[in-house]
Amino acid sequence: MAFLSSQVQYQTVGAFSMPTGAVEQGMNIKQFISESYPQDARGDAWSELLAGLHLRSNSQNENFASFAVAAVRGQPDGILIGHLVADAQTLTPISQRDRTLIALISLDEEIEITAENVNLTVAPNELAILPTDKSWETCLPRNTRLVVVCMSETALQAQRFGLSPVVTPLLFPARGLASVFIRSVASAADELDTLTSLEWQSVEQVIADLYLTMIVSAVPSETGVNSTQAALFSRLALSIEHHLSDPDLSAGRVARQEGISERYLQKLFEQNGESFTHYLRERRLQRARMALVAPDELRMPVAEVAYSCGFSDAANFNRLFKERFGLPPGAFRTHHVKNLTETASAEQRGWPLKALNNRKAKKRSAIDGAASEVSQLKDSREADGTHHHLSASAKTVHWGYFSRSLPPVLEISSGDTVEIETLTQHASDAPDLMIKGDSAAEDIFYWDGETKHVDRRGAGPIDASIFGRGAGEGFGVHVCTGPIFVNGAEPGDVLEVRIDDMIPRSSRNPEYDGRYFGSSVSAWWGYQYGELLQEPKPRENVVIFEIFPDDDGFGYAKAHYSYRWQTQTDPFGVEHKTYDYPGVPVDPAKIQPLLPAMHDLRIPLRPHFGVIAVAPREADPVDSVPPAYFGGNIDNWRLGKGASVYLPVSVPGALLSIGDPHAAQGDGEVSGTAIECSMTGRITVTVHKKGGRFSDLTYPLIETPEEWILTGFSHPNYLAEFGPKGQGEVYMQSSLDLAMKDTFRKTRRFLMGAYGLNEDDAITLMSAAVDFGVTQVVDGNWGVHAILRKSIFSE
Amino acid sequence: MKHHNLPVSPETVHWGYFSKAVQPAITVRSGDRATIETLTHHANDDYERMIQGDPAAEAIFHWTKEQKTISRRGSGPTEGPFKLGAGEGIGVHLMTGPVAVEGAEPGDVLEVRILDVRPRPSQSACYCGRCFGSNAAASWGFHYHDLIEEPKPREVVTIFELDTAGEPYAKAVYNYVWTPQTDPDGIIHSTIDYPGVRVDHNLVTKRENILQDIRVPARLHFGTMGLAPSEEDFVSSIPPSYSGGNIDDWRIGRGARMYYPVAVDGAYFSVGDPHAAQGDSELGGTAIETSLTGDFEFILHKKNDLGGTVLEGLDHPMLETDEQWSVYGFTYPNYLEALGKDAQTTIAHHSSVDKAMRDAFRKMRRFLMTAHNMSEDEAIALMSVAADFGVTQVVDANWGVHGSIRKNIFKCY
Repeated sequence: MAFLSSQVQYQTVGAFSMPTGAVEQGMNIKQFISESYPQDARGDAWSELLAGLHLRSNSQNENFASFAVAAVRGQPDGILIGHLVADAQTLTPISQRDRTLIALISLDEEIEITAENVNLTVAPNELAILPTDKSWETCLPRNTRLVVVCMSETALQAQRFGLSPVVTPLLFPARGLASVFIRSVASAADELDTLTSLEWQSVEQVIADLYLTMIVSAVPSETGVNSTQAALFSRLALSIEHHLSDPDLSAGRVARQEGISERYLQKLFEQNGESFTHYLRERRLQRARMALVAPDELRMPVAEVAYSCGFSDAANFNRLFKERFGLPPGAFRTHHVKNLTETASAEQRGWPLKALNNRKAKKRSAIDGAASEVSQLKDSREADGTHHHLSASAKTVHWGYFSRSLPPVLEISSGDTVEIETLTQHASDAPDLMIKGDSAAEDIFYWDGETKHVDRRGAGPIDASIFGRGAGEGFGVHVCTGPIFVNGAEPGDVLEVRIDDMIPRSSRNPEYDGRYFGSSVSAWWGYQYGELLQEPKPRENVVIFEIFPDDDGFGYAKAHYSYRWQTQTDPFGVEHKTYDYPGVPVDPAKIQPLLPAMHDLRIPLRPHFGVIAVAPREADPVDSVPPAYFGGNIDNWRLGKGASVYLPVSVPGALLSIGDPHAAQGDGEVSGTAIECSMTGRITVTVHKKGGRFSDLTYPLIETPEEWILTGFSHPNYLAEFGPKGQGEVYMQSSLDLAMKDTFRKTRRFLMGAYGLNEDDAITLMSAAVDFGVTQVVDGNWGVHAILRKSIFSE
Repeated sequence: MKHHNLPVSPETVHWGYFSKAVQPAITVRSGDRATIETLTHHANDDYERMIQGDPAAEAIFHWTKEQKTISRRGSGPTEGPFKLGAGEGIGVHLMTGPVAVEGAEPGDVLEVRILDVRPRPSQSACYCGRCFGSNAAASWGFHYHDLIEEPKPREVVTIFELDTAGEPYAKAVYNYVWTPQTDPDGIIHSTIDYPGVRVDHNLVTKRENILQDIRVPARLHFGTMGLAPSEEDFVSSIPPSYSGGNIDDWRIGRGARMYYPVAVDGAYFSVGDPHAAQGDSELGGTAIETSLTGDFEFILHKKNDLGGTVLEGLDHPMLETDEQWSVYGFTYPNYLEALGKDAQTTIAHHSSVDKAMRDAFRKMRRFLMTAHNMSEDEAIALMSVAADFGVTQVVDANWGVHGSIRKNIFKCY
């Protein structure tokens, strides 16, 4: 235990758009994340946060089941910026006595605003200006990402310039100055928790200035004169901005340029709260501050930065800068660069952001025509009507993605059992051992110069137009068997998948008949890749394991041989210099197998499924790599024989998929993979209807006979949180610090909700008896789990 | 082999720091054993249950306007005026020792085996023979700025009783929200910011019948155990580092063997911060803090004998149990060296699980490559399929992640 005398301990906060981590005190940031709260407190906490933005929602505790996250920064008597991810609901203003205004920008979805006599349709990235003293309402569609700005009368000093009050909602399309305003506000909302207090002040100033200039030209003023003053003032400000680099800039010169007297100019500045000299110095310092850390100008000497901002004396500049920002300019820059390099990410999996920018989110997507086929459900019910067999074949698997549009391959009912075959996508690392002679594997992996049985591998474009790796681009890699349609499963229900048994799939190659093999790749997405010690660097390494199962479903694995990845050319002629596309058959002639020294070690088996997922609610195909609320690539070895996972159902029938079978894995899965080994499982699937024991489940929950295991992620619902860019952002913004936060919040909520503890008791119990571990640091959305022993709760 | 006894007393404890500069309490030879008593610095959360009637505890915690037996608590200044008190609470743990080890020199490794651990029963009239502990959900806890119930923020102290009749477990007795406490020197502690301040039970509201039907299985262990670092004379006991210290891993209990790199002549081993139970992460800031007594054995591994053993190249604390080895990663493996002059306080601004994971990964890789003669590729493959990484603590400024590997993997077949 420890404590820190008079020290406020806070977490280092990386660059992420939604501050879900702890933040520095004094920043005035309020946060909300639905994952934190037991259901009976969630709506109240949400209302409280919205009230800070002068908004009221119609969503209540009892129906607040969906994901929401928000952060609000600022002071009520200044500018407040809120960044919200919210589900369908209606927002109305809480009436304010003063003329506080709300600016609303929806980032991805069209929203409707209804007021007396006015109906506005606000397209994504358009701006609505709304009064808080008049009534209006807006209905948000599902998963809306909103930026809300509250501008108080004080902040705008609107009265001083005699602007007419906004009495009716105004719509600004994203053109001209409004576009600048929208982009400034949106990017400030992205950086709420990274801006220092001083930086925040500049942001407030900029927003107020932009708004005033924008509104002056859009709204008739009460008195012409004062409106002219406002316009004049912004012209003066602009003129100053243009001439900041001129060391001889003076009040007289600016006044002459604008054709007014110097005295009048001074008066205008005083009206606005500060002298011309002070204003000019502040603008110069701010400009210098930006220039010091501008990516293109990092090599510019400090003195030159000073001159370029109109400081004629470098020593004077150093002194002023330090007074203003606490650090001398050189140190300020060093500090900034250090931060940058520490947070920079290496190569990254999944969608590149650029590609996502160019991609329109689809409302309803078909998976390359698959959905248009009439689904041919395989009904293999045996006499008792509850046991099914689902074999793996090119027709019953989907590769590297989840989708609500996939036609189910099997239909079952709650309580049924299924024997389900799953194949590892790594079988192609040693095709002789893991594919040859196995008709199912040969079918799924089939790929010659003309045909590829399972073309799409990953959620990327089918024409491989981004990297050219292959259909789906390998944005998602797991061979998943399914989906299975579960009768009666509805959104809001919870699906329980219990693993009754798991056995490895033996080689069907006559040469190895009856033996079992798996593969583990230390891959380019592994935790080690950027900091390897031995040459050549970087490199990928494959270890083929032989598996020796025992009768209890456990046993051990031994390294069989290993090889360094060498460029492989796939049957379509595409070269894979790294392990960048799944299922590329490794040509034995192109590798040099070695017998690793570790072949005499015995690695205890921990058979489990890395991937168990229900279809996400989002329309687009979803990369199978980052786990999230729908389950997916959980990669927790405790999810093996005897364990259950509970998953929140998002679509009718749940659409269950299982894959990524593992023979063994450690907590962390550092190299990027486990011992990947095809396996067959026997599972029991149960639907728990809404309102039952798991009514408040919004994440995958694992149960073993002895333990509850709660799964937390860097971003519990990255698809909602980041919107259309989620599948790229999540790879960039993963961190154990965030995952630890999420797991803490979920565990607190679980103890409060499921066991009726109050917050204090929940925290005490967590500190004394709950074990937090690292699930994985390689799946884009990093994971931390909490283990709660059931024996703690006496009968 | 000699067996030593090291009881707690004002002469055998130092409070809130590790130090190469204080007089050793005893000197041992490699192979010697010692029975060492430790007191929890949270005993004053409930004076009646955890101090009263225990002569050693009464003496150590004695603090009146006229006399404060142990004045310095922490590595901070000892000359006033004080913000919080002598030592300024930069370091909080009551440490027994140091134990000097004959012939220990920098570069050696000291192995400390914990042969047994037992609780220290209350000696007060009302509670004689029963064992108690305290848990504080404190301002340095991971939850503190993320509370959802009012009042925010708040610190909460929960008193537990340890039941040792069968399989030992702890049960909550009552709790209270911390209220400002005035120490005998007149300094007001509005949060838990200085160790050993006696909580006036007239100033707090006790809530009973809490955590009903919940039994926390005991995991008796020592939260803080380690050697004096070489960098400074007085080093805060809060952030763990290369020579051990406040590692806060509940696996450091009976049967554990800890290995520490020796940084100063004589090694200067100290032990304290006894815990009855803790979860991985120690989320709220403390464990169930309970006075314990342990039997220890000391084995010195000389620098020149380390080659070819699992201790070769060891520059960080490591645990061995019957089942596994664990290496300890921290935000900074040696924060004193990394952060310079004000390291002992500024480390709190750098805390990160991500960096601790990175460190634990590197240490595990090194261990497998050096101690088990693996190539880097083998080490990484093995880690991915068989090593488990867990969150040790997120409350000791220099946050910790441990990596564990099971010994049966290396058994010769």
